[in-house]
Amino acid sequence: MRRLAVIGLDCADPVLLGELLPELPALRELAESGCFARLRSTDPPITIPAWMAMMTGKDPGQLGVYGFRNRRDHSYVGLRLTNSTAFADADPVWDTLGRHGVRSIILGVPGTFPPRPMAGVLVSGFLAPNTEATYTYPTSLAKRIEEWVGEYAFDVRQFRTNDKAWLFSQVREMTEKRFAVARRLVAEHEWGFFAMVEIGPDRIHHGMWAHYDPTHPRHDAASPYRDTLPEYYRFLDRQISDLLSELPGSTEILVVSDHGAQKMEGGLGINEWLIRNGYLALTDYPDAPTRIGDLIANGRVDWSKTTAWGEGGYYGRLFLNVVDREPRGIVPHQDYDATCSRLSDELAAVPDEAGASLNTQVHRPTEIYREVTGIPPDLIVYFGDLRWRSIGTIGWGRIHIHENDTGPDDANHSLYGIYISSTPGGNEDRHLLDIRREIIEYFGIEDPS
Amino acid sequence: MRKHKKIHIPADLAQAILDHLDELGAGTIEEYVEAVLRSQLLRAGHISAYSQEEEEEVERRLRDLGYLD
Repeated sequence: MRRLAVIGLDCADPVLLGELLPELPALRELAESGCFARLRSTDPPITIPAWMAMMTGKDPGQLGVYGFRNRRDHSYVGLRLTNSTAFADADPVWDTLGRHGVRSIILGVPGTFPPRPMAGVLVSGFLAPNTEATYTYPTSLAKRIEEWVGEYAFDVRQFRTNDKAWLFSQVREMTEKRFAVARRLVAEHEWGFFAMVEIGPDRIHHGMWAHYDPTHPRHDAASPYRDTLPEYYRFLDRQISDLLSELPGSTEILVVSDHGAQKMEGGLGINEWLIRNGYLALTDYPDAPTRIGDLIANGRVDWSKTTAWGEGGYYGRLFLNVVDREPRGIVPHQDYDATCSRLSDELAAVPDEAGASLNTQVHRPTEIYREVTGIPPDLIVYFGDLRWRSIGTIGWGRIHIHENDTGPDDANHSLYGIYISSTPGGNEDRHLLDIRREIIEYFGIEDPS
Repeated sequence: MRKHKKIHIPADLAQAILDHLDELGAGTIEEYVEAVLRSQLLRAGHISAYSQEEEEEVERRLRDLGYLD
Protein backbone atom coordinates (compact mmCIF):
# COMPACT_ATOMS: atom_id res chain seq x y z
CA MET A 1 0.00 0.00 0.00
CA ARG A 2 1.35 3.43 -0.95
CA ARG A 3 1.54 6.01 1.83
CA LEU A 4 2.50 9.65 1.76
CA ALA A 5 2.91 11.85 4.83
CA VAL A 6 3.06 15.65 4.55
CA ILE A 7 4.40 17.37 7.65
CA GLY A 8 3.66 21.06 7.39
CA LEU A 9 5.68 23.52 9.45
CA ASP A 10 3.97 26.89 9.24
CA CYS A 11 6.46 29.65 8.39
CA ALA A 12 9.54 27.37 8.30
CA ASP A 13 12.17 29.33 6.41
CA PRO A 14 14.82 27.81 4.13
CA VAL A 15 17.64 30.11 5.25
CA LEU A 16 16.91 29.62 8.94
CA LEU A 17 16.49 25.87 8.53
CA GLY A 18 19.75 25.69 6.62
CA GLU A 19 21.46 27.35 9.59
CA LEU A 20 19.84 25.02 12.11
CA LEU A 21 19.97 21.76 10.13
CA PRO A 22 23.24 20.51 11.73
CA GLU A 23 21.36 20.46 15.07
CA LEU A 24 18.27 18.70 13.69
CA PRO A 25 19.06 15.02 13.02
CA ALA A 26 15.63 13.92 11.72
CA LEU A 27 15.24 16.76 9.24
CA ARG A 28 18.93 16.60 8.27
CA GLU A 29 18.64 12.87 7.51
CA LEU A 30 15.62 13.53 5.28
CA ALA A 31 17.30 16.45 3.53
CA GLU A 32 20.55 14.54 2.95
CA SER A 33 19.00 11.29 1.78
CA GLY A 34 16.28 13.05 -0.20
CA CYS A 35 16.34 16.69 -1.11
CA PHE A 36 16.01 20.17 0.39
CA ALA A 37 14.82 23.09 -1.71
CA ARG A 38 12.97 26.37 -1.49
CA LEU A 39 9.19 26.35 -2.02
CA ARG A 40 7.71 29.47 -3.62
CA SER A 41 4.63 30.54 -1.70
CA THR A 42 1.42 32.12 -2.92
CA ASP A 43 0.82 35.84 -3.26
CA PRO A 44 0.26 36.85 -0.54
CA PRO A 45 2.52 34.46 1.41
CA ILE A 46 0.09 34.07 4.30
CA THR A 47 -1.23 31.01 6.13
CA ILE A 48 -4.70 31.64 4.70
CA PRO A 49 -4.82 31.13 1.71
CA ALA A 50 -1.41 29.42 1.30
CA TRP A 51 -2.09 25.99 2.88
CA MET A 52 -5.38 25.50 1.08
CA ALA A 53 -3.81 26.71 -2.17
CA MET A 54 -1.25 23.94 -1.66
CA MET A 55 -3.95 21.34 -0.99
CA THR A 56 -6.16 22.40 -3.93
CA GLY A 57 -3.49 23.43 -6.46
CA LYS A 58 -5.43 26.65 -7.02
CA ASP A 59 -4.06 30.14 -6.50
CA PRO A 60 -5.79 32.73 -4.29
CA GLY A 61 -7.44 34.35 -7.31
CA GLN A 62 -8.95 31.04 -8.41
CA LEU A 63 -10.06 30.34 -4.85
CA GLY A 64 -11.36 33.88 -4.34
CA VAL A 65 -9.55 33.87 -0.98
CA TYR A 66 -7.06 36.69 -0.53
CA GLY A 67 -6.50 36.53 3.20
CA PHE A 68 -8.07 35.57 6.51
CA ARG A 69 -10.88 38.02 5.81
CA ASN A 70 -12.38 38.73 2.43
CA ARG A 71 -14.92 41.21 1.11
CA ARG A 72 -18.28 39.54 0.78
CA ASP A 73 -19.66 42.57 -1.08
CA HIS A 74 -18.56 46.07 -2.08
CA SER A 75 -19.80 47.73 1.08
CA TYR A 76 -17.20 49.41 3.27
CA VAL A 77 -17.71 47.00 6.17
CA GLY A 78 -18.15 43.68 4.43
CA LEU A 79 -15.01 41.78 5.47
CA ARG A 80 -15.81 38.25 6.62
CA LEU A 81 -13.69 35.42 7.99
CA THR A 82 -12.78 32.65 5.58
CA ASN A 83 -14.01 29.18 6.44
CA SER A 84 -13.82 25.73 4.86
CA THR A 85 -16.82 26.26 2.59
CA ALA A 86 -14.65 28.67 0.57
CA PHE A 87 -12.63 25.63 -0.55
CA ALA A 88 -15.47 23.13 -0.95
CA ASP A 89 -15.62 23.47 -4.75
CA ALA A 90 -11.83 23.53 -5.13
CA ASP A 91 -11.46 19.79 -4.52
CA PRO A 92 -8.90 19.56 -1.70
CA VAL A 93 -6.48 16.73 -2.37
CA TRP A 94 -8.03 14.47 0.27
CA ASP A 95 -11.39 14.63 -1.54
CA THR A 96 -9.72 13.63 -4.81
CA LEU A 97 -7.87 10.79 -3.10
CA GLY A 98 -11.05 9.68 -1.33
CA ARG A 99 -12.80 9.22 -4.67
CA HIS A 100 -9.99 6.85 -5.61
CA GLY A 101 -10.21 4.79 -2.43
CA VAL A 102 -7.34 6.46 -0.55
CA ARG A 103 -8.23 7.34 3.03
CA SER A 104 -6.69 10.42 4.64
CA ILE A 105 -5.77 11.79 8.03
CA ILE A 106 -5.83 15.61 8.06
CA LEU A 107 -4.62 17.40 11.19
CA GLY A 108 -4.44 21.12 11.80
CA VAL A 109 -4.52 22.36 8.19
CA PRO A 110 -5.61 26.03 8.30
CA GLY A 111 -8.80 26.52 6.33
CA THR A 112 -10.49 23.27 7.35
CA PHE A 113 -12.91 24.69 9.92
CA PRO A 114 -15.75 23.76 10.03
CA PRO A 115 -14.81 20.17 9.13
CA ARG A 116 -16.51 18.71 6.05
CA PRO A 117 -17.26 15.00 5.58
CA MET A 118 -14.38 13.20 3.88
CA ALA A 119 -12.91 9.74 3.43
CA GLY A 120 -10.92 9.59 6.61
CA VAL A 121 -10.56 11.74 9.69
CA LEU A 122 -9.96 15.48 10.04
CA VAL A 123 -9.01 17.77 12.91
CA SER A 124 -9.53 21.45 12.04
CA GLY A 125 -6.78 24.04 12.18
CA PHE A 126 -6.37 27.13 14.32
CA LEU A 127 -9.39 29.02 12.97
CA ALA A 128 -11.60 26.72 15.02
CA PRO A 129 -12.96 29.01 17.75
CA ASN A 130 -12.63 26.55 20.63
CA THR A 131 -13.02 22.88 21.52
CA GLU A 132 -16.73 23.43 22.25
CA ALA A 133 -17.28 23.83 18.51
CA THR A 134 -17.51 20.81 16.21
CA TYR A 135 -13.86 20.74 15.11
CA THR A 136 -13.35 17.14 14.00
CA TYR A 137 -14.74 14.77 11.42
CA PRO A 138 -16.12 12.48 12.59
CA THR A 139 -17.49 14.45 15.53
CA SER A 140 -16.69 11.68 18.01
CA LEU A 141 -12.96 12.05 17.27
CA ALA A 142 -12.88 15.16 19.49
CA LYS A 143 -13.66 13.01 22.52
CA ARG A 144 -10.84 10.62 21.68
CA ILE A 145 -8.44 13.56 21.35
CA GLU A 146 -9.45 14.80 24.77
CA GLU A 147 -8.74 11.33 26.18
CA TRP A 148 -5.29 11.35 24.55
CA VAL A 149 -4.06 14.87 25.38
CA GLY A 150 -6.63 16.61 27.56
CA GLU A 151 -7.64 20.08 26.29
CA TYR A 152 -6.48 20.24 22.67
CA ALA A 153 -4.65 23.44 21.69
CA PHE A 154 -5.35 24.93 18.26
CA ASP A 155 -3.06 27.85 18.93
CA VAL A 156 -1.30 29.88 21.58
CA ARG A 157 -3.47 32.22 23.56
CA GLN A 158 -2.33 35.75 24.46
CA PHE A 159 0.50 35.50 21.98
CA ARG A 160 1.56 39.17 22.10
CA THR A 161 3.61 39.18 25.22
CA ASN A 162 7.04 40.13 26.42
CA ASP A 163 6.99 37.13 28.75
CA LYS A 164 9.04 34.99 26.39
CA ALA A 165 9.53 32.10 28.81
CA TRP A 166 5.76 31.74 29.14
CA LEU A 167 5.30 32.02 25.37
CA PHE A 168 7.89 29.33 24.72
CA SER A 169 6.29 26.93 27.21
CA GLN A 170 2.86 27.49 25.59
CA VAL A 171 4.12 26.87 22.07
CA ARG A 172 6.02 23.81 23.17
CA GLU A 173 2.99 22.35 24.94
CA MET A 174 0.79 23.01 21.91
CA THR A 175 3.27 21.33 19.56
CA GLU A 176 3.70 18.37 21.88
CA LYS A 177 -0.06 17.79 21.97
CA ARG A 178 -0.43 18.06 18.21
CA PHE A 179 2.30 15.51 17.56
CA ALA A 180 0.86 13.22 20.25
CA VAL A 181 -2.47 13.36 18.40
CA ALA A 182 -0.66 12.73 15.10
CA ARG A 183 1.02 9.61 16.47
CA ARG A 184 -2.28 8.22 17.75
CA LEU A 185 -4.08 8.97 14.50
CA VAL A 186 -1.53 7.23 12.27
CA ALA A 187 -1.43 4.25 14.63
CA GLU A 188 -5.18 3.82 15.05
CA HIS A 189 -6.65 4.75 11.65
CA GLU A 190 -6.34 3.25 8.22
CA TRP A 191 -4.72 5.76 5.88
CA GLY A 192 -2.81 6.27 2.67
CA PHE A 193 -2.42 10.05 2.91
CA PHE A 194 -1.52 11.95 6.06
CA ALA A 195 -1.15 15.73 6.26
CA MET A 196 -0.59 17.83 9.34
CA VAL A 197 0.33 21.47 9.94
CA GLU A 198 2.14 22.59 13.06
CA ILE A 199 1.62 26.31 13.63
CA GLY A 200 4.31 26.53 16.34
CA PRO A 201 7.24 27.63 14.13
CA ASP A 202 5.27 30.68 13.00
CA ARG A 203 4.49 31.68 16.58
CA ILE A 204 8.11 31.19 17.64
CA HIS A 205 9.38 33.26 14.71
CA HIS A 206 7.08 36.18 15.43
CA GLY A 207 7.83 36.01 19.14
CA MET A 208 11.53 35.22 19.19
CA TRP A 209 13.22 36.31 15.95
CA ALA A 210 14.84 39.43 17.41
CA HIS A 211 16.43 37.35 20.16
CA TYR A 212 17.97 34.97 17.58
CA ASP A 213 18.94 37.21 14.66
CA PRO A 214 21.93 39.50 15.41
CA THR A 215 20.98 41.72 12.45
CA HIS A 216 17.50 42.41 13.84
CA PRO A 217 17.03 46.10 14.80
CA ARG A 218 15.94 45.08 18.31
CA HIS A 219 18.47 42.30 18.85
CA ASP A 220 20.00 42.17 22.31
CA ALA A 221 23.17 40.12 22.41
CA ALA A 222 22.70 39.62 26.14
CA SER A 223 19.14 38.31 25.82
CA PRO A 224 18.53 35.15 27.85
CA TYR A 225 16.34 33.97 24.96
CA ARG A 226 19.01 33.93 22.24
CA ASP A 227 18.83 30.13 22.02
CA THR A 228 15.06 29.77 22.43
CA LEU A 229 14.32 29.66 18.71
CA PRO A 230 16.95 26.94 17.99
CA GLU A 231 15.81 25.12 21.12
CA TYR A 232 12.26 25.03 19.78
CA TYR A 233 13.52 23.59 16.48
CA ARG A 234 15.51 20.89 18.31
CA PHE A 235 12.34 20.01 20.23
CA LEU A 236 10.32 20.04 17.00
CA ASP A 237 12.86 17.78 15.32
CA ARG A 238 12.47 15.23 18.13
CA GLN A 239 8.69 15.36 17.68
CA ILE A 240 9.10 14.77 13.95
CA SER A 241 11.51 11.90 14.64
CA ASP A 242 9.00 10.26 17.00
CA LEU A 243 6.24 10.61 14.43
CA LEU A 244 8.40 9.20 11.62
CA SER A 245 9.18 6.18 13.78
CA GLU A 246 5.43 5.42 13.88
CA LEU A 247 5.11 5.41 10.07
CA PRO A 248 5.67 2.32 7.92
CA GLY A 249 9.20 2.41 6.49
CA SER A 250 8.04 2.74 2.91
CA THR A 251 6.12 5.97 3.59
CA GLU A 252 7.06 8.86 1.34
CA ILE A 253 7.73 11.97 3.46
CA LEU A 254 7.33 15.61 2.51
CA VAL A 255 8.16 18.39 4.97
CA VAL A 256 6.91 21.71 3.65
CA SER A 257 5.99 25.20 4.76
CA ASP A 258 3.49 27.73 3.49
CA HIS A 259 5.94 30.67 3.49
CA GLY A 260 9.21 31.72 5.03
CA ALA A 261 10.16 34.31 7.61
CA GLN A 262 12.48 37.28 7.93
CA LYS A 263 13.19 40.02 10.41
CA MET A 264 10.60 42.75 10.61
CA GLU A 265 12.23 46.16 10.27
CA GLY A 266 9.20 48.31 10.91
CA GLY A 267 5.72 49.21 9.87
CA LEU A 268 4.41 51.44 7.12
CA GLY A 269 1.16 53.24 7.87
CA ILE A 270 -0.74 52.57 4.66
CA ASN A 271 -3.71 54.74 5.60
CA GLU A 272 -1.47 57.43 7.08
CA TRP A 273 0.27 57.57 3.70
CA LEU A 274 -3.05 57.70 1.83
CA ILE A 275 -4.19 60.62 4.04
CA ARG A 276 -0.95 62.55 3.53
CA ASN A 277 -1.16 62.12 -0.21
CA GLY A 278 -4.79 63.15 -0.54
CA TYR A 279 -6.27 59.73 -1.26
CA LEU A 280 -8.13 59.21 2.03
CA ALA A 281 -10.10 61.82 3.98
CA LEU A 282 -11.43 61.61 7.53
CA THR A 283 -14.00 63.80 9.19
CA ASP A 284 -11.59 64.12 12.12
CA TYR A 285 -8.13 62.69 12.71
CA PRO A 286 -8.04 60.37 15.76
CA ASP A 287 -6.09 61.27 18.90
CA ALA A 288 -4.75 57.72 19.27
CA PRO A 289 -4.11 54.83 16.87
CA THR A 290 -7.54 53.65 15.74
CA ARG A 291 -8.47 50.81 13.42
CA ILE A 292 -9.69 51.82 9.97
CA GLY A 293 -12.63 49.43 10.43
CA ASP A 294 -13.72 51.34 13.51
CA LEU A 295 -13.36 54.69 11.74
CA ILE A 296 -15.47 53.40 8.85
CA ALA A 297 -18.09 51.90 11.18
CA ASN A 298 -18.32 55.19 13.11
CA GLY A 299 -18.78 57.30 9.98
CA ARG A 300 -15.44 59.08 10.30
CA VAL A 301 -14.31 58.47 6.70
CA ASP A 302 -15.35 61.18 4.25
CA TRP A 303 -16.11 58.99 1.25
CA SER A 304 -16.86 62.00 -0.96
CA LYS A 305 -13.13 62.82 -0.84
CA THR A 306 -11.70 59.29 -0.55
CA THR A 307 -10.04 57.54 -3.50
CA ALA A 308 -8.74 54.51 -1.58
CA TRP A 309 -8.37 52.93 1.84
CA GLY A 310 -6.14 50.17 3.09
CA GLU A 311 -6.05 47.17 5.39
CA GLY A 312 -3.00 46.28 7.41
CA GLY A 313 -1.36 43.01 8.37
CA TYR A 314 1.81 41.34 7.16
CA TYR A 315 1.05 42.77 3.72
CA GLY A 316 -1.07 45.68 2.57
CA ARG A 317 -4.40 45.52 0.81
CA LEU A 318 -5.71 48.57 -0.91
CA PHE A 319 -9.30 49.12 -2.02
CA LEU A 320 -10.41 51.82 -4.45
CA ASN A 321 -13.63 53.76 -3.91
CA VAL A 322 -15.13 53.24 -7.37
CA VAL A 323 -18.26 54.89 -8.78
CA ASP A 324 -21.22 52.46 -8.96
CA ARG A 325 -19.17 49.78 -7.24
CA GLU A 326 -18.70 51.10 -3.70
CA PRO A 327 -21.74 52.78 -2.09
CA ARG A 328 -20.25 56.29 -2.32
CA GLY A 329 -17.57 55.73 -4.93
CA ILE A 330 -15.74 58.66 -6.51
CA VAL A 331 -13.21 57.01 -8.87
CA PRO A 332 -14.80 56.91 -12.34
CA HIS A 333 -14.52 53.53 -14.11
CA GLN A 334 -12.56 55.09 -16.93
CA ASP A 335 -9.94 56.31 -14.41
CA TYR A 336 -9.63 52.98 -12.58
CA ASP A 337 -6.52 51.67 -14.38
CA ALA A 338 -4.75 55.01 -14.28
CA THR A 339 -5.52 55.41 -10.55
CA CYS A 340 -4.19 51.92 -9.81
CA SER A 341 -1.03 52.67 -11.80
CA ARG A 342 -0.47 56.01 -10.08
CA LEU A 343 -1.00 54.53 -6.61
CA SER A 344 1.28 51.59 -7.44
CA ASP A 345 4.08 53.88 -8.62
CA GLU A 346 3.76 56.23 -5.66
CA LEU A 347 3.57 53.44 -3.05
CA ALA A 348 6.56 51.68 -4.63
CA ALA A 349 8.53 54.92 -4.30
CA VAL A 350 7.89 55.47 -0.57
CA PRO A 351 11.38 55.55 1.01
CA ASP A 352 12.48 54.62 4.52
CA GLU A 353 13.08 57.36 7.10
CA ALA A 354 16.58 57.96 5.75
CA GLY A 355 15.29 58.43 2.22
CA ALA A 356 16.59 55.10 0.92
CA SER A 357 14.49 52.83 -1.27
CA LEU A 358 12.39 50.27 0.59
CA ASN A 359 12.03 48.05 -2.48
CA THR A 360 8.26 47.88 -2.14
CA GLN A 361 6.31 45.76 -4.61
CA VAL A 362 2.73 46.48 -5.60
CA HIS A 363 0.66 43.87 -7.44
CA ARG A 364 -2.63 43.95 -9.26
CA PRO A 365 -4.61 40.71 -8.83
CA THR A 366 -5.30 40.38 -12.55
CA GLU A 367 -1.54 40.37 -13.20
CA ILE A 368 -0.55 37.68 -10.68
CA TYR A 369 -3.42 35.16 -10.67
CA ARG A 370 -4.56 32.67 -13.29
CA GLU A 371 -8.11 33.83 -12.69
CA VAL A 372 -9.71 36.34 -10.33
CA THR A 373 -12.86 35.33 -8.47
CA GLY A 374 -14.66 36.76 -5.46
CA ILE A 375 -13.83 40.36 -4.54
CA PRO A 376 -10.07 40.88 -4.57
CA PRO A 377 -8.25 43.90 -3.20
CA ASP A 378 -7.48 46.36 -6.00
CA LEU A 379 -3.80 46.39 -5.04
CA ILE A 380 -1.63 44.04 -2.96
CA VAL A 381 1.36 45.76 -1.37
CA TYR A 382 4.58 44.21 -0.01
CA PHE A 383 6.31 47.03 1.84
CA GLY A 384 10.09 46.69 1.76
CA ASP A 385 10.04 43.17 0.33
CA LEU A 386 7.77 42.28 3.29
CA ARG A 387 10.38 43.41 5.81
CA TRP A 388 7.93 46.16 6.71
CA ARG A 389 4.48 45.41 8.02
CA SER A 390 1.43 47.23 6.66
CA ILE A 391 -0.15 49.20 9.48
CA GLY A 392 -3.77 50.07 8.85
CA THR A 393 -4.48 51.95 12.06
CA ILE A 394 -4.61 55.76 11.94
CA GLY A 395 -3.55 58.26 14.59
CA TRP A 396 0.22 57.78 14.65
CA GLY A 397 0.96 61.17 13.14
CA ARG A 398 3.60 59.66 10.88
CA ILE A 399 4.09 57.03 8.18
CA HIS A 400 7.09 55.05 9.44
CA ILE A 401 6.13 53.27 12.61
CA HIS A 402 8.39 51.16 14.76
CA GLU A 403 5.90 50.39 17.49
CA ASN A 404 3.61 47.56 16.50
CA ASP A 405 -0.08 48.34 16.54
CA THR A 406 -0.88 44.87 17.83
CA GLY A 407 1.94 44.24 20.32
CA PRO A 408 5.48 42.80 20.14
CA ASP A 409 6.28 41.11 16.82
CA ASP A 410 9.79 40.34 15.56
CA ALA A 411 9.25 38.74 12.16
CA ASN A 412 7.38 39.11 8.93
CA HIS A 413 6.73 36.56 6.20
CA SER A 414 8.83 35.92 3.13
CA LEU A 415 8.04 34.45 -0.25
CA TYR A 416 9.97 31.18 0.02
CA GLY A 417 9.19 28.34 2.38
CA ILE A 418 10.82 24.92 2.59
CA TYR A 419 10.51 21.71 0.61
CA ILE A 420 12.15 18.60 2.03
CA SER A 421 11.39 15.26 0.41
CA SER A 422 12.49 11.75 1.33
CA THR A 423 12.77 11.13 -2.41
CA PRO A 424 16.08 12.25 -3.89
CA GLY A 425 15.81 15.19 -6.26
CA GLY A 426 17.51 18.40 -7.18
CA ASN A 427 17.58 21.50 -5.02
CA GLU A 428 15.93 23.73 -7.62
CA ASP A 429 13.03 25.86 -6.38
CA ARG A 430 9.60 24.25 -6.25
CA HIS A 431 6.21 25.95 -6.24
CA LEU A 432 3.56 25.47 -3.57
CA LEU A 433 0.86 25.12 -6.23
CA ASP A 434 2.61 22.00 -7.60
CA ILE A 435 2.42 20.03 -4.33
CA ARG A 436 -1.10 18.79 -4.93
CA ARG A 437 -0.12 17.36 -8.33
CA GLU A 438 2.92 15.70 -6.74
CA ILE A 439 0.66 14.02 -4.15
CA ILE A 440 -1.90 12.88 -6.72
CA GLU A 441 0.79 11.50 -9.02
CA TYR A 442 2.40 9.61 -6.14
CA PHE A 443 -0.84 7.64 -5.85
CA GLY A 444 -0.93 7.05 -9.62
CA ILE A 445 -4.00 9.21 -10.11
CA GLU A 446 -4.45 11.55 -13.02
CA ASP A 447 -5.16 14.98 -11.57
CA PRO A 448 -8.63 16.00 -12.71
CA SER A 449 -7.74 19.68 -12.23
CA MET B 1 -24.66 19.74 25.05
CA ARG B 2 -26.70 20.25 21.87
CA LYS B 3 -30.36 19.30 21.86
CA HIS B 4 -31.36 16.66 19.30
CA LYS B 5 -34.51 15.96 17.32
CA LYS B 6 -35.51 12.65 15.81
CA ILE B 7 -35.92 12.54 12.04
CA HIS B 8 -36.60 9.61 9.75
CA ILE B 9 -34.75 8.75 6.57
CA PRO B 10 -35.64 5.99 4.09
CA ALA B 11 -34.40 2.59 5.25
CA ASP B 12 -32.51 1.88 2.01
CA LEU B 13 -30.61 5.16 2.36
CA ALA B 14 -29.76 4.38 5.97
CA GLN B 15 -28.58 0.92 4.93
CA ALA B 16 -26.38 2.37 2.17
CA ILE B 17 -24.71 4.66 4.71
CA LEU B 18 -24.27 1.79 7.16
CA ASP B 19 -22.76 -0.40 4.44
CA HIS B 20 -20.16 2.28 3.65
CA LEU B 21 -19.71 3.86 7.05
CA ASP B 22 -16.03 3.05 7.24
CA GLU B 23 -15.09 4.55 3.89
CA LEU B 24 -17.31 7.56 4.64
CA GLY B 25 -15.10 8.21 7.65
CA ALA B 26 -17.91 8.21 10.21
CA GLY B 27 -18.39 6.12 13.31
CA THR B 28 -22.19 6.13 13.22
CA ILE B 29 -24.95 6.92 10.77
CA GLU B 30 -25.95 9.92 12.90
CA GLU B 31 -22.43 11.37 12.72
CA TYR B 32 -22.38 11.09 8.95
CA VAL B 33 -25.86 12.55 8.41
CA GLU B 34 -25.14 15.43 10.78
CA ALA B 35 -21.85 16.26 9.05
CA VAL B 36 -23.36 16.17 5.57
CA LEU B 37 -26.34 18.30 6.58
CA ARG B 38 -24.13 20.82 8.37
CA SER B 39 -21.80 21.04 5.38
CA GLN B 40 -24.65 21.53 2.88
CA LEU B 41 -26.43 24.12 5.00
CA LEU B 42 -23.18 26.04 5.43
CA ARG B 43 -22.55 26.07 1.69
CA ALA B 44 -26.07 27.30 1.07
CA GLY B 45 -25.56 30.05 3.63
CA HIS B 46 -28.43 28.82 5.81
CA ILE B 47 -26.21 28.44 8.88
CA SER B 48 -22.97 30.19 9.83
CA ALA B 49 -19.55 28.73 10.48
CA TYR B 50 -19.24 30.96 13.53
CA SER B 51 -21.61 32.55 15.97
CA GLN B 52 -21.20 36.33 16.30
CA GLU B 53 -19.22 35.84 19.54
CA GLU B 54 -17.02 33.16 17.97
CA GLU B 55 -16.29 35.33 14.93
CA GLU B 56 -15.32 38.25 17.16
CA GLU B 57 -13.16 35.95 19.27
CA VAL B 58 -11.35 34.53 16.21
CA GLU B 59 -10.84 38.01 14.73
CA ARG B 60 -9.46 39.22 18.06
CA ARG B 61 -7.07 36.28 18.05
CA LEU B 62 -6.01 36.98 14.44
CA ARG B 63 -5.39 40.60 15.40
CA ASP B 64 -3.38 39.43 18.38
CA LEU B 65 -1.37 37.20 16.07
CA GLY B 66 -0.64 40.06 13.69
CA TYR B 67 -2.64 38.81 10.71
CA LEU B 68 -5.11 41.68 11.04
CA ASP B 69 -4.87 45.10 12.59
